[in-house]
Amino acid sequence: MTTTLPTAPTGPGHPQPFTGTRTLGEPGQIDAEGVCAWFGGRLVLETVNLTMEQSKVTALIGPSGCGKSTFLRILNRMHEVVPGAQLAGSVKLDGVDIYGPGQRAMETRRHIGMVFQKPNPFPAMTIAENVLAGLKFSRSTPGDKDDLVQEALTKAGLWNEVKDRLGELGGALSGGQQQRLCIARSLAVRPRVLLMDEPCSALDPTSTLRIEQTIKEIADEVTVVIVTHNMQQAQRVSDYCAFFLAAENQPGRVIEAGRTEMIFGEPTDQRTFDYVNGQFG
Amino acid sequence: MIADGTTQSAPEGVLVTTTSASTQSAPVHEPRPPGPPPSGEFPESPAPPRPRRLPSPIRPGAFGAEDATILVGAAVSALCLVWIVFYQLTSLSGGLGFLICWYLAFLGLTWLGTAQVIERQVATDRVVAVVVVSAAALVIGIIIFIVAWVTYKAVPTIHWAALFTKDQKSFQLAESNALDHVGILHAVIGTFEQVLLAVAIGVPFAVATAIYLNEVRGFGSRTVRTVVTAMSGTPSVVAGVFIYSMLILTHVISYSGFAASLALVVILLPSVTRVVEEVLRVVPSGLREASQALGAPEWRTVWSVVLPTARSGVVTAVLLGIARIVGETAPLLFTAVGSQVLNLNPLSGDQGALPLVIWSDVRQPNAVLIDLAFQAAFVLMAFVLILFVLARIFSRPKGKGGKGRARPEEDDLMARFFVPIPIEESESR
Amino acid sequence: MAIDLDLAPRRPQAPAPTPITVTRDYSTPDKVFRWGVQASGLGVFLLLVAIGSFLAWSGWPAFKVAGWGFFTHSGPVLVGSHANFGVLASLTGTVEVAFVAMVFGAPVAICTALFLSEYAPLRSRRSLIAMIDLAAAIPSIIFGLWAFFELQPNVVGLSTWMSRHLAFIPFFKVTSPPLNASIFIAGLVVGIMIVPIVASICREVFSLAPAGEREAALALGASRWQMIRTVVLPFGRGGMIGAVMLGLGRALEETIAVTIILAGSYKVTGQILQHGGSTISQLIAINFNQSGGALGVHDLLLCGFVLFLLTLVINLAASAIVNRSRSGAGVDL
Ligand SMILES: Nc1ncnc2c1ncn2[C@@H]1O[C@H](COP(=O)(O)OP(=O)(O)OP(=O)(O)O)[C@@H](O)[C@H]1O
Ligand SMILES: [Mg+2]
Repeated sequence: MTTTLPTAPTGPGHPQPFTGTRTLGEPGQIDAEGVCAWFGGRLVLETVNLTMEQSKVTALIGPSGCGKSTFLRILNRMHEVVPGAQLAGSVKLDGVDIYGPGQRAMETRRHIGMVFQKPNPFPAMTIAENVLAGLKFSRSTPGDKDDLVQEALTKAGLWNEVKDRLGELGGALSGGQQQRLCIARSLAVRPRVLLMDEPCSALDPTSTLRIEQTIKEIADEVTVVIVTHNMQQAQRVSDYCAFFLAAENQPGRVIEAGRTEMIFGEPTDQRTFDYVNGQFG
Repeated sequence: MIADGTTQSAPEGVLVTTTSASTQSAPVHEPRPPGPPPSGEFPESPAPPRPRRLPSPIRPGAFGAEDATILVGAAVSALCLVWIVFYQLTSLSGGLGFLICWYLAFLGLTWLGTAQVIERQVATDRVVAVVVVSAAALVIGIIIFIVAWVTYKAVPTIHWAALFTKDQKSFQLAESNALDHVGILHAVIGTFEQVLLAVAIGVPFAVATAIYLNEVRGFGSRTVRTVVTAMSGTPSVVAGVFIYSMLILTHVISYSGFAASLALVVILLPSVTRVVEEVLRVVPSGLREASQALGAPEWRTVWSVVLPTARSGVVTAVLLGIARIVGETAPLLFTAVGSQVLNLNPLSGDQGALPLVIWSDVRQPNAVLIDLAFQAAFVLMAFVLILFVLARIFSRPKGKGGKGRARPEEDDLMARFFVPIPIEESESR
Repeated sequence: MAIDLDLAPRRPQAPAPTPITVTRDYSTPDKVFRWGVQASGLGVFLLLVAIGSFLAWSGWPAFKVAGWGFFTHSGPVLVGSHANFGVLASLTGTVEVAFVAMVFGAPVAICTALFLSEYAPLRSRRSLIAMIDLAAAIPSIIFGLWAFFELQPNVVGLSTWMSRHLAFIPFFKVTSPPLNASIFIAGLVVGIMIVPIVASICREVFSLAPAGEREAALALGASRWQMIRTVVLPFGRGGMIGAVMLGLGRALEETIAVTIILAGSYKVTGQILQHGGSTISQLIAINFNQSGGALGVHDLLLCGFVLFLLTLVINLAASAIVNRSRSGAGVDL
């Protein structure tokens, strides 16, 4: 990579977050310990302990409503955006609790990026502006904007399709292209972890394959956590897998977690076996 | 939200049952003994539930003690700074100017402080939040201030017995020049009659127009919708001048309470129409189809199905309509003119009204009349407040029983009444 | 793929069906009903036409006398043996009051709307919205009363300060004190009165800003304000413009509050801080009872017509803009 790394803004007395050995832009490891979540006083997620390995792809699977998205959003402090949402437990990025004192949500979200189910580029911005939006928020100035745009779009597998139309509006792309633009936008701030909430569920098979390819390519630069309902996709892209389940009127829990081959090949729990084999009912 | 008892809510320290803890804490990369267990040998269903204590939920806030310290510090230092500059250096006077200077200094110091201690991005965010919150606080503060101020000015001097039983006739006799001899009876009666007539004329007209716009959708309803929007912006003074030029100048009718109610109809009509239309729009179309499927003619469908369903919304519209016109002053100047004495007949002769009493008495060089003006203002305001609260009660869904009822967002109804929010083209049903 | 779905055996001799048009046949009561509501719709339409045409018709004699001088003169102007009337001072005064009102009212209203849609805690949001709506329900004469007794004495100090230190701006120059009963103070009151209107519409438009883009901005590390600036404000721009225009329409027509504050004068003035000024509606309100003097009834009715046209145009344009932005189409200006 030729561009200079944008660095986290620091001011005098500014609490230095994530003082692990790695800096912004290198893949990080997330340890979630005892994570619980509530919506309006209703417990929806109970005591989740999960480690998301550095530079690996972790897939979260499970039936609808079992709290996968909730858990994912807790990992980058997006949960607290919802009114009435509460949580407990700790989430450590390279050993530093992102919910610890002095940690700011904005700062955390710059280190732990997120891609949503529905593509959501900023429609009033051009493609290039979309890619650079995150940097504008943190007021960091990349060495060379054009290089950074190209790099991020290349990593997201979109560069060849849009290199001649960087000045067009972000809303003018197809759904699959928009989703890759969102991935590029997240990558441009050089997060250490990228969270993806069903990134392909609104896309056609070709776009899905492109994005899966992208995930594999970026995995050595950024730790990826992906929620998916597609078992084949989980098998294709992930190194580790965690199975969430919520019994009726019960909060969601992690039933089983481990290497993907294990979860799909030789699960220890009957329910996991049923789910990954499509016998869930 | 699920209401039955199986759901676990989590107040602090509540005991919750959980499935086997061992499966939850499985480290992701824990090595497993080789060899696939045959599917029959899975451990039997989860271990028996064990009561366990959940941690208490938190809502991570962005605002901590440090931030509060910065704000308080900025406020205090701004006070000192402005005091020095304002009084010592530029020798200014006036509380408002001081407040404005302090506020600007406070904003600046908050920004500097936050940028110094935290970072610039947070500083800008914080300053904007302070500006937004203080703007809203200013508006709400002014409203509360006005209501409290009118009450404070009026209530101590009120002679309740005289207020609603006497007019201002006796004021002309010098010896009874006191608050226990004058009242606003003439104005209350005048306003009552004018508003009643305006509602009696305007509301059926408005409801019929709303039905035309939403139920019948006849020829030209688009144009009429635009016209209703345009009319809701008609200046109230123009409404009065219009009735004057059309009816009084041409000697069709004379100055009277009735002329005033016609002017009020011009103001009432578009507002009630738009709210009733809004209410009719959310009547489920299934109800209409059910009625039509039973063979009911269209008028019966509207009369027996649509209107009853929308009844509380129509009541809201009428209440708000009254609140809207009861305080109008400008149109009355050219129609009812105002009077010092009681005139029971709305059809002829000048007639008093609450706004007109305020308008004319407050400019008299006489303490008694000014007090009376404030009392009239208090009565007017209290009336508007009561109507407003009643309207809110009527537009609120009534618990579970209100489920099937058709009601638009209560807030939107309120807003639409006083605010000329344009009516959307409704989607075809 | 070309799949022939027409698998059913068809008898070749079956005649092709002819489409029939279902015409609704209304019964007599229904006809009466439809006729009735159509008539009331037509009535509303005619009412607006009547307002415009009666005002134009009764203002015409004044216009015949004054000619286009009506728009270029101020106050009663002696021409030959009779006094002509010109609306210029009132027209500029109206615009000045509205301008001051918008300068103060619009930012406060937009901030209030942002507060209601973005900052206010969910639990208290409804009651806060009700408070703002209540402000729209308070009669303008009460605002006027309050402004006259409470606001004006405080603002005069501010006016003095501005006239002393900001006199390099031509508007703030003062040549003839006192500084009460000024266009500036009238504008301030009207500014307060338009807040609920502008805030209500803006709040509605802001709350329609897409949640996906809001979350996208936050997830990229935007602060709340940065999120508002990148997502909410661009999305709500059209609605904001429309709302401010509707507020402007309201500011142009405000009668009683302005009349209570503003001391009448027929001079065109740009010096908004000093005593005296005139707006069209104030002119109508204070001169009506003395009609028959220098100002004829027809002059006032012509003024009413001008005000009617002014607000009609602004309100229609504003409604169109708000409706477009609500449908998500955005505005290009
Ligand atoms: N904003 C919210 N307010 C209240 N409850 C919510 C909210 N969002 C989610 N929930 C509840 O939390 C639980 C978990 O939801 P979550 O979205 O995490 O499920 P999920 O596993 O992502 O499902 P899916 O696969 O369908 O996306 C559900 O029972 C849901 O009803
Ligand atoms: Mg989900």
